[in-house]
Amino acid sequence: MNMIRKSPWVSIFNASSCNGCDIEVLTLVTPKYDIERFGAQWKMSPRHADILIVTGCTNETTKKRLKTVYDQMAHDKVVMAIGTCGNSGNFWRFCYNVKQRTDSVVPIDIYVPGCPPRPETIIDAVVKALALLKEKKNETKKNNKKATKK
Amino acid sequence: MHDHTHTIPVGPQSPTMKEPMCIRVNLEGNYIKKAHVRMGYLHKGIENMLEGKSLIKCLYITEHICGICSYAHSACFTQAVERLYKIDAHKKAKYIRTIVAELERIHSHLLWFGFAMHEIGYDTMFQYGMREREYVLECFEKITGNRVIHAINKFGTVRYDFDKEKEGKFILDKLAKIEKIYPFYEKMARKNSVITSRMKEVGTISKSMAIKHCMVGPMARASGIKRDIRKDHPYEAYSEVDFELITETAGDSWARTMVRLREIVESIKIIKQLIKNMPEEPVPKFTKAGPLFMANVPEPKKTLTYGQVEAPRGEDFHFYKIEKGIVKKARIRTPTFQNIQVIETLLKGVEIGDIPVIISSFDPCFSCMERMIVVKDGKKEVLKEDEFRSKYC
Repeated sequence: MNMIRKSPWVSIFNASSCNGCDIEVLTLVTPKYDIERFGAQWKMSPRHADILIVTGCTNETTKKRLKTVYDQMAHDKVVMAIGTCGNSGNFWRFCYNVKQRTDSVVPIDIYVPGCPPRPETIIDAVVKALALLKEKKNETKKNNKKATKK
Repeated sequence: MHDHTHTIPVGPQSPTMKEPMCIRVNLEGNYIKKAHVRMGYLHKGIENMLEGKSLIKCLYITEHICGICSYAHSACFTQAVERLYKIDAHKKAKYIRTIVAELERIHSHLLWFGFAMHEIGYDTMFQYGMREREYVLECFEKITGNRVIHAINKFGTVRYDFDKEKEGKFILDKLAKIEKIYPFYEKMARKNSVITSRMKEVGTISKSMAIKHCMVGPMARASGIKRDIRKDHPYEAYSEVDFELITETAGDSWARTMVRLREIVESIKIIKQLIKNMPEEPVPKFTKAGPLFMANVPEPKKTLTYGQVEAPRGEDFHFYKIEKGIVKKARIRTPTFQNIQVIETLLKGVEIGDIPVIISSFDPCFSCMERMIVVKDGKKEVLKEDEFRSKYC
């Protein structure tokens, strides 16, 4: 069981990003910055994923989709907002089709600043997400035990 | 009669595309009867955003239109402003810009090659493509200080100087590595049955079809049309270098792969020539326009201007109306916008398993492309040039 806890699957969600962050996230699965060293694997389907990486400011069209994808994920999930657009909206927040920040749509656990952030920064964030995931899983275990005792 | 067709959506969150786009396909058995494309998942309103902003702010915004061809967009805007205010860019600055543009082309094509291989299930090649791409990103970091969004352009000059001994040698070193591995790629693309059996005669676009749909870039060149802004309307330093315009005649997914792969070699050739002939004197920090641009430049009589650049995916066209240093109207037409129109006709009669191959062979970049066209109640409006200007410009 310990092994499984340490191998999160990562899924990328493009919430109207400019592709800059997406290609930097993708370098993580390539030979130079390999995140499989930490047991993380890139998965296309959010249903299989433990960590959701959100890139870009969330516009009106993707807002609903982001919520749906978040709900589809299995429990004990960590959401990372990559790039300045994901964190604060950057200058896109003045656009007519962008009315909210990403963290008002889904709860975000880890913020990674940068336009786009370097792969080393994202790797650091993924490692932090691993610790957070462990914490969350322990918490749910405790809660489950309490529930079964009652 | 009972209808035997059924409709399934491909996208917006699908393994086929990294970017959101929805294709609703009407299937009869395994074959597509009708395809309907739905866009707009990435629309933010960039054109509206540009209006009413000063030129320096707009330079920053145009850079962020797309992450992959970020240089092409900023170059387009700089070109438009330089054309309007009649600023002649420094010769060395032109050389540096051309080097960055060509490096971007190599980076984009290698990234695309990796992805196309990933779509057909050949993940080893995906890793190889991405490995070579990392060399180009290192070059970017050396010249511009950034990996993805370069921010190298200024009006009339560039942000960083280029030393032949330091940066030039570094780039030549890295490019030699790509050049060394390239014959292996071409051999694989030509002979490996995983690639040929999956890509040959899939999604064929004939020459007449490509002309009818006004296709641009490698897509048009794969169908045998000799269309390239670098040759047709040379800008920056392209008139001073010698390179071949690459075309294929087959027009299928495999021909598009070959055009892009062979363009990598041409780009390397261009960069080598530019580094060899690079002027010695340093790049000026500011041109006569000054740091805040507007200070010393006389206001031109004209207000309309345009920029035209060959981005990695094809012709990138920006159209602006600038008055007193403020952008009043902006229109951006990106290569994917031209190329994606053909998709509905192309997917008719194709097997559903070929959708990933065909779409990835387009090299779509939707974040560039999501512009808006207002069609009011389906009423047609035909305007002459003057009327159009008075009404919309």
